[in-house]
Amino acid sequence: MPNVYVITGATSDVGIALLGRLLATANREDVFIAQGCGDLHKLAPLCQAHPGQVRPFDVDLSDRAKVDVLIDLVGQSGLVPTHIIHLPALPVVNVKFKNFDEDRFAKDMEIQLYSIVRLCKAFLPAMAKAKFGRVLFIQTSYTIGCPPKNTAAYVMAKSALGGLLKSLAVEYARFGITVNCVAPSMMETHFLQDTPSLIVQAAAAENPMGRNATPADVVPAMEFLLSAEAGFITGVTLPVTGGSAIV
Amino acid sequence: MDNQMIFDAVQEIFRDNFDDDTLVLTRETCADDIEDWDSLEQINLLTAMEKKFAIKFKLEDVRGLKNVGDLLDLVVRLTA
Repeated sequence: MPNVYVITGATSDVGIALLGRLLATANREDVFIAQGCGDLHKLAPLCQAHPGQVRPFDVDLSDRAKVDVLIDLVGQSGLVPTHIIHLPALPVVNVKFKNFDEDRFAKDMEIQLYSIVRLCKAFLPAMAKAKFGRVLFIQTSYTIGCPPKNTAAYVMAKSALGGLLKSLAVEYARFGITVNCVAPSMMETHFLQDTPSLIVQAAAAENPMGRNATPADVVPAMEFLLSAEAGFITGVTLPVTGGSAIV
Repeated sequence: MDNQMIFDAVQEIFRDNFDDDTLVLTRETCADDIEDWDSLEQINLLTAMEKKFAIKFKLEDVRGLKNVGDLLDLVVRLTA
């Protein structure tokens, strides 16, 4: 049976790196439903290298109606997802709580939490019937131990994802579905576009390995958690931090 | 921008960051004098100064800063 991957945030640096790695070992029949928002051109090289396997969808995940359209389109295609990978988030902003932007937070929660709640509600029942599934989120090392100041919105949204992860893990374990997270420390990607350079430099200097994470550090851990052999690992948040956050 | 203007702007950045309109800086003011002034707040202050003065700090430049005087001297050097 072919694998059907649904990857939200596929146009992110991590998404592209993960897609590339998965495609390199995928069977010809495997399908990758790849969501981006206004930036699908980033997937063009992968689409050209793997014609027909990568199916890009331009979907604004902050809009519930558009998430539902994505769900409908996947349903109409007759494809039953085997893997759900959820990566999107608004960039981290370093803001004191007195200036907390509730509207931005609400949008981030739509993107990070409510969209994956809807996708899981739609796809998990069929995955449970098939007795196999892999669900993977990306969290952050900020949810391990003491978070940095001024990141309340990001930490709250990622913590909510952690709650969803644990709940789904126990509910679907009997159906062969695992639900896990990777929790990277600061990762040098376009996601840091709104983070002051001094914060990025300081995080690298403070990391026990003397540098920040890169997608190349994180993607192999994701690939493992998505693999068939990781079938007895569920409900886990795996730190990928160079030692900067240790459970 | 002369030294007094830089001092005034830096003081305004400190007042805004620490939410204290009565804060008065001297060259000797240091992290021990302002309760919330930790490493992250220092980065927030520096980031605000980067915007205000259109300059760019490097981590190695700001590591040895002991007080506001050191900070002002660095800003003056970078804006010269």
